[in-house]
Order: sequence, then C-alpha cells, then structure tokens
Amino acid sequence: MKLIGIVGTNSAKSTNRKLLQYMQSHLADKAKIELVEVKDIPVFNKPADKKVPEKVTEIAAKIEAAEGVIIATPEYDHSIPAALMNALAWLSYGISPLLNKPVMITGASYGKLGSSRAQAQLRQILDAPELKASVMPGSEFLLAHSLQAFDEAGDLIDLETVQKLDALFDDFRVFVKITAKLSNAHELLHQEAENFDWENL
Amino acid sequence: MKFVGIVGSSAERSYNRLLLEYIRKQFKLKFELEILEIDEVPMFNQDDNWADSFQLRLLNNKITRADGVIIATPEHNHTITAALKSVLEWLSYQVHPFESKPVMIVGASYYDQGTSRAQAHLREILDAPGVNAYTLPGNEFLLEKAKEAFDDEGNIISQDTVNFLETCLDNFIKYVEVVSSLKKPKPIAPEDLDADHPIKTTVTEVDPDDPEWVEKVAEITGAVSGDTYVKLDHGILTVDQINMFLKSMPFELTYADDNNQFLYYNNAHQDPETMFAKRVPAQSGSRLSTVHNSLPPARMKNVEWVVGTLRNGNQEFVRTIVPGAPASVVNTHHYQAMYYPDGSYAGINELVFNFKPWLDWYLKETGQRLVGKKMGAMMPDASTGASETPSAEMTPDANTGASEH
Repeated sequence: MKLIGIVGTNSAKSTNRKLLQYMQSHLADKAKIELVEVKDIPVFNKPADKKVPEKVTEIAAKIEAAEGVIIATPEYDHSIPAALMNALAWLSYGISPLLNKPVMITGASYGKLGSSRAQAQLRQILDAPELKASVMPGSEFLLAHSLQAFDEAGDLIDLETVQKLDALFDDFRVFVKITAKLSNAHELLHQEAENFDWENL
Repeated sequence: MKFVGIVGSSAERSYNRLLLEYIRKQFKLKFELEILEIDEVPMFNQDDNWADSFQLRLLNNKITRADGVIIATPEHNHTITAALKSVLEWLSYQVHPFESKPVMIVGASYYDQGTSRAQAHLREILDAPGVNAYTLPGNEFLLEKAKEAFDDEGNIISQDTVNFLETCLDNFIKYVEVVSSLKKPKPIAPEDLDADHPIKTTVTEVDPDDPEWVEKVAEITGAVSGDTYVKLDHGILTVDQINMFLKSMPFELTYADDNNQFLYYNNAHQDPETMFAKRVPAQSGSRLSTVHNSLPPARMKNVEWVVGTLRNGNQEFVRTIVPGAPASVVNTHHYQAMYYPDGSYAGINELVFNFKPWLDWYLKETGQRLVGKKMGAMMPDASTGASETPSAEMTPDANTGASEH
C-alpha cells in the first residue's frame, strides 16, 4: 500500500515529523509511506490566475498517486499550524487531490492534550466542500508528552501506544480499501470540487 | 477609543477589507479605526525571527496600544485563512500583543453561511494560552452573500444589517470599557536619561551637553537651513517656512528622541523666563538628565515614568497640569509619543501651553460656566491615562458637544 505522510509543520525540529518517520520504518512491511513537507510554500493569497505554486502541484501529484494520506499535526493556539492550513488551502484551489482520499489524522504534542483540538479542527477543515477528504472516523491518535515519547533510535517507547497505533493503522488499511469502493459519486464530486468557485455561487 | 482592524485575508480583493472600511467610515464618531494588512507577513516558522517583518512589527505595536481589535475574517475550507492564522501564531510566540486585549470578530463571505465556522475557530484560537485575548461574546456579525451586500460606494445596502452591525459595535465599546479594567499595565523598563544608547540618527561626534551642539552638529551633518526646500509628508516647505510654522504653534514644543536626547524646541520666546517650561538655546542636544538636572530625584522618577510609559505602549500620551500656577494659568504639559513607520517608539513631542484661555473661550462660546469645585480639584495627577475622562465640571452638556453633527 502506497501512502503519503504529511508533516503538519514547517519547524526544523518536530515530534510530528518524528512520529511519521517512526511510522514509516515501523510499518514498512505493511505500507510504503513517503513523507512530504509543507515548508517553503508561499502564503495562499487567492491569485486571480488560479496558478498553484510548483511545490504544491508536486505534493498534489504525490497525493493523487497514493492510496491514502496520513497527516501528523501539532497544535498551535488550539488549532492546526498556519503552514498546514496554507498547504490545504492551495491543495483545494482549482485542484482536488484530497477528494475522497482516505485520511488518517495523527498528532503529537509536548503537553498532555496531544493536539486534540487541532485534530478536531482538521476534521472540519478536511470536510469542507473544496477538500472533501474521507477522514477515518473515530480514529483519534494523540501522542501526548511527545518530547519524552521516543527513544534515541526514534522508536516509540510506550508499548500500549505502539499497540494502539498498530491497531489504528490496521483499521486505516481496511478503511482505504472500503473507501476505494465508494466510488459511485466520485466523478461527480470531483467535477463539483474542481468547478467550485465562491465568486459564482 | 482607538481600534485596530485586521483584514483577515491577504487577497488583493477582499470583502472583509471592504467591511472594515465601511465600519471605519460609518462609525467614525464612535471610535477611530486603523485598518492593518497582513499580506506581507511571512508564514509562521518558529525557527525564524518575527521582528524581521515590518508588517509584524507594525501589527505588534499597533495592537499593543489599541483599546480594542476588530478582526474581519473570511472562511476558507471551513476555517480562517492560513495568512491570518500565521499572524496569530507569530503574535502568540515571542510577543503577545493580544494578551488581555478586547477583540471583536466580524466576517464577510460569498455564500450564505457567512464565515460561521471560521468565526467559531477564530474564537477558539483567540482563547489559546499564548493569545489570551478577551473576545466579545455573542454579537456574531456574519455578512453573507457579500457580493450583493455593498453598493458602488462600499456602503452596506440593507438597513437592518447596518442596524445590527451598529448594535454589535456598541456592545463592543461597552465591553472594551468593562474589560479594560482587567488590563495589567506592562512593566516599565528603566530609562537611560543620560542618552547613552545612540540610535541611527544620533551624531556621536559631539557631546550632547555641549552648549555649541547645534552649530557643531550642523557642520558635521551638513544640515540644510534657510531657503532650502525640504520634502515632507505631505508637502514641500523651506527650512525657514518650517521654522515659521513651528514657531507659530500656540505651544512650547520640544522634541526628544528615543535615546532621550533633547534635540529641538521651537524657540519663540524672547525671554526664557516667560515660558511655561523654561528652555534655553544651549540645551538643544542635551541629555534629558541634564535638561532636568535641577529636578529633585523624585521628579526625575516622574520623567522616567513618562518616557517609559510612552515607550512600552501603555499610553500614547501623558497629560499633566503643573500645580502652583496663578489662577489665570492652567499650565498643561502634554507628552505625545512619536512613532517610527513600524509603530515603534521614536520619542516625545512635548507640548506645553496654558489651557486657561482655551477653556475660557470654550465656556464663552457655549454660554457655560464652571461650577462647583475650585480649579485645583480638576487637576489630574501625572499618572492620568489616555482613556481617563475629564472630571464632571469640565464636561459640556451632552447636547452641546463637539460630536454634534
């Protein structure tokens, strides 16, 4: 199974990147996870010519080619980082790579809440008509106290956490397959998303 | 009341900008609204330095000093724009201008949901520990179908909508009044009244206290004078014209820069002894500590307090009446902060004048008189803030005020 892992921050040091890197190696026999970064994408400013930056079209192509997407988001000010918000704004501007794409949301945070608010907002965002991703329901994976969560080799230390992640990931693999079968409305929604234009509502 | 309006979109064309511009124009008698843009703010990255961005410095300085902030947000993907989120992340990381700041949320959108989800997210964000704003509860102003909402002059067409907007804004004004009592003034850092921290414009070759400072610095800098033209914002004057202009001001004006160096005063008096705040030519260029060296240490603390209060943004001006004047004189000292283009503190414009003739003129023109307590009772002390209302004796009847139109 080919998946894309989106690192939800542009920070050089990030436990969310670490989490995805861990998943990448730990789950290597179940899926091939390629990581993409949201760094260095210009701030979305709704250009009239609808031209999407090259960096974004590259990410879009990778998402299109993948069977599913894992997003690891930190929480900044009770919400997802602007950098991730920005990437998602571009990824829904005249293009729709995330449409019906199975998405698993994960998140790591230094504190004990483990990005719960950010994840809830991210669900709402991915549900927007311009994005319309298929987020796996009921699959909250929150990694709290993330600075202490990994050992020196970058592996998760806590066994229960590993088991939960494994179980959720197995569910996600099933979810990817089911979502692939929900294709009846796909073409229609795809058209709708691509033609979506606030100006002409 | 002074508010800052933040356009929550970096798009060139924005109905949220239009909405703020309408609020500024329509309700100009209720408050002053300065609209700020976020289009040049880089994407938040905790590895970068916030102060490298001019727009962020401006936002930080203006928000710090504002009585309240109105944020106009569009809705993208069920949330606020990445550009606005980026600004909020920058302003909740190393600096925290929103701390205890009253904030009102408005939003305009193309469709009929009118930014409801974005506003809900924004509320949650403003509530986060690093932001800690006081967001106005309720009063959700959603301008839906924004494309049809405005006429060609940028006015909102529906009278009902305008009325509701006015109600929300009136509520915000009341809210700001209530919430401002929770505001904790920022601590005042020690001031260097000896002017030992040269700034970009400081001429270091001449000692500030040199009595010949003006002549010597003029020579070094090649300062222009006489009928040389100078381009100003906004206009063209010769140096002679600038001098005439400044001398004709009905104030004793003094300029001290942000290094606490006294650079200039509008020398319009034949005899310094006749001034309300005595200045002599040899003082130009002096350290503030030297200018005030006749003051007792406690009064020097006052000088430090005034400069510090203006520098840290707690107040934009400090106004005081110097006690001990005869009945015909209300010796008013008004210290107005000056700002660099990015909104940071640039120094003090000190205006000293006798308020009594103005007061007498006003009373005569409006057929009123002072009643009750003596003049002494209406003198606020030096710590009186910008938002302080004048005492009742000075307040004109509601129906004769300047705001009548």
